[in-house]
Amino acid sequence: MADCSDCLGQAPHVAAIAPLQSEFPFEWIYIRSIIEVSLYVSLVAVALSTLLSIPVALVLGFTEFRGKGFLRSVITTGMGFPSVVVGLSVLFLVSNQGPLGSLELIFTTEAMILSQLVLATPVIMGVSLAAVSSVDQQVRDAAFAMGGTRLDVALVTIKEARYGLVTAVLAGFGRAISEIGSVLIVGGNIVGSDGESYTRTLTTAIRVEARNGQFDTAFLLGAILVVLVLLVNALVIRLGGTNGGYR
Amino acid sequence: MTMDESATASRDASSGRTVDDPSSTTTSTSTATSTPTLRAVDIQHGYGSETVLETVSLSIDAGEVVAIIGPSGVGKTTLLRLLALFEQPRDGALEYDGTDVWEITTQQRLAFRRRIGMVFQDASLFDASVRRNAEYGLHVRQSWIDRLRREFADLVGLRDGTSEALEALDVVGLADELDRHASSLSGGEAQRVAFARALAFDPDVLLLDEPTSDLDPRNTAVIEDAVREASERGIGVAIATHDMNQARRVADRVAVLLGDGIIEVGETKTMFEDPEDPRTRKFIDGELIY
Repeated sequence: MADCSDCLGQAPHVAAIAPLQSEFPFEWIYIRSIIEVSLYVSLVAVALSTLLSIPVALVLGFTEFRGKGFLRSVITTGMGFPSVVVGLSVLFLVSNQGPLGSLELIFTTEAMILSQLVLATPVIMGVSLAAVSSVDQQVRDAAFAMGGTRLDVALVTIKEARYGLVTAVLAGFGRAISEIGSVLIVGGNIVGSDGESYTRTLTTAIRVEARNGQFDTAFLLGAILVVLVLLVNALVIRLGGTNGGYR
Repeated sequence: MTMDESATASRDASSGRTVDDPSSTTTSTSTATSTPTLRAVDIQHGYGSETVLETVSLSIDAGEVVAIIGPSGVGKTTLLRLLALFEQPRDGALEYDGTDVWEITTQQRLAFRRRIGMVFQDASLFDASVRRNAEYGLHVRQSWIDRLRREFADLVGLRDGTSEALEALDVVGLADELDRHASSLSGGEAQRVAFARALAFDPDVLLLDEPTSDLDPRNTAVIEDAVREASERGIGVAIATHDMNQARRVADRVAVLLGDGIIEVGETKTMFEDPEDPRTRKFIDGELIY
């Protein structure tokens, strides 16, 4: 039996979901699985978004083409895009009638990743664009003049902009892991009868626990969320921001 | 005056002065029989509707120092960037050891580009240590496997500077500063590292774009000594400067860039004592203001 307190529809593969049952005993499996789902969804979304955003930021930052200004405006606008609208759009995409309906992604972590990818990408891309654009053209020229290829120049740019790029990744991660609206819509906030989370994240769990008056659990989950964010920030800064391999 | 026009005023090599005639292999008295390493033939360039260089010809032979003098904004940097293969001139040819480098593939051009080093007016160092900066030119010439190997050795602290980089840093007196971060260097030291960075991969040609314009006399002297040493190693050097005294001190030949082109090229002594073109005389004397 599973709790689907925020499901908007019943997909075939979640037919076994039981009527609303929002209270679970506080057990380790419940907390652990929620943390796992939160981290898995957010980290995968941010990783994919970073792989997409940095090359686009490099191209946008250093090439001139028609429509570049418009594209920058779209990215900037996307940074403040309402997550509920993103959730609805992704829900439409992955619903049975949507273009991705055949993939049966609705109420899965993959759908949540997709929605977080859409939300995090403008943030990572926008901040990355600002970071790479701030790299001195003369430094790029120096890399070229020393015999660097276009790839070498791009790598130098990434290294020079690494503090800004780390900030971009952290900003994207912050947006993803603290997200509630879209993951609620496309994920369904599902927990199995054994208390294991399928698509429930820390944020959606806090919402459910607070609504049910389980403030102790809600505060505990909130504290875990804050600690996780701090840990990931510290790790990313350590690996990419300070002395990481660039002495 | 364009290059074509100025060519009529050129003299033979025995007079000690010549405008670099693209149809002639004689470019200076000291290297009359050598093949020019890098040769611009009637190149013309500009940006948008503006023409910056109009029919410029210049050659840089192995082991010689050519000073390109002219006022600010006349196109010295543009000329050096064209020589460094940053961009293709609108017209004319750029020959490296007789090969037109814009008539070959990108990969072939990269091989030629990697025989040219350049130092900019600003040091433009990377946000890294002195060693990493000095080694950059060597780094990009390595295979990706070797690069990864080097990164790993750096990570675990198993590596000292490469001998080429150390040698280049020694030329500018900074061999003991390997582990200093670029941001901790003074302006003069940074420019010396930039010079070492361009020297470390042993280029055939070194292009210097007003490398000492912001430096104090001591650092200027270090750079000028390094220019002489590079020349002694057989490296052809082109140095853009508006410092007449510097041109007199370091150059074998001087090219005067005024208006849209080079109006005169000749041996340094002759150019300063008895220039052909009256505008050269006026410019050297500080009477020609652009």
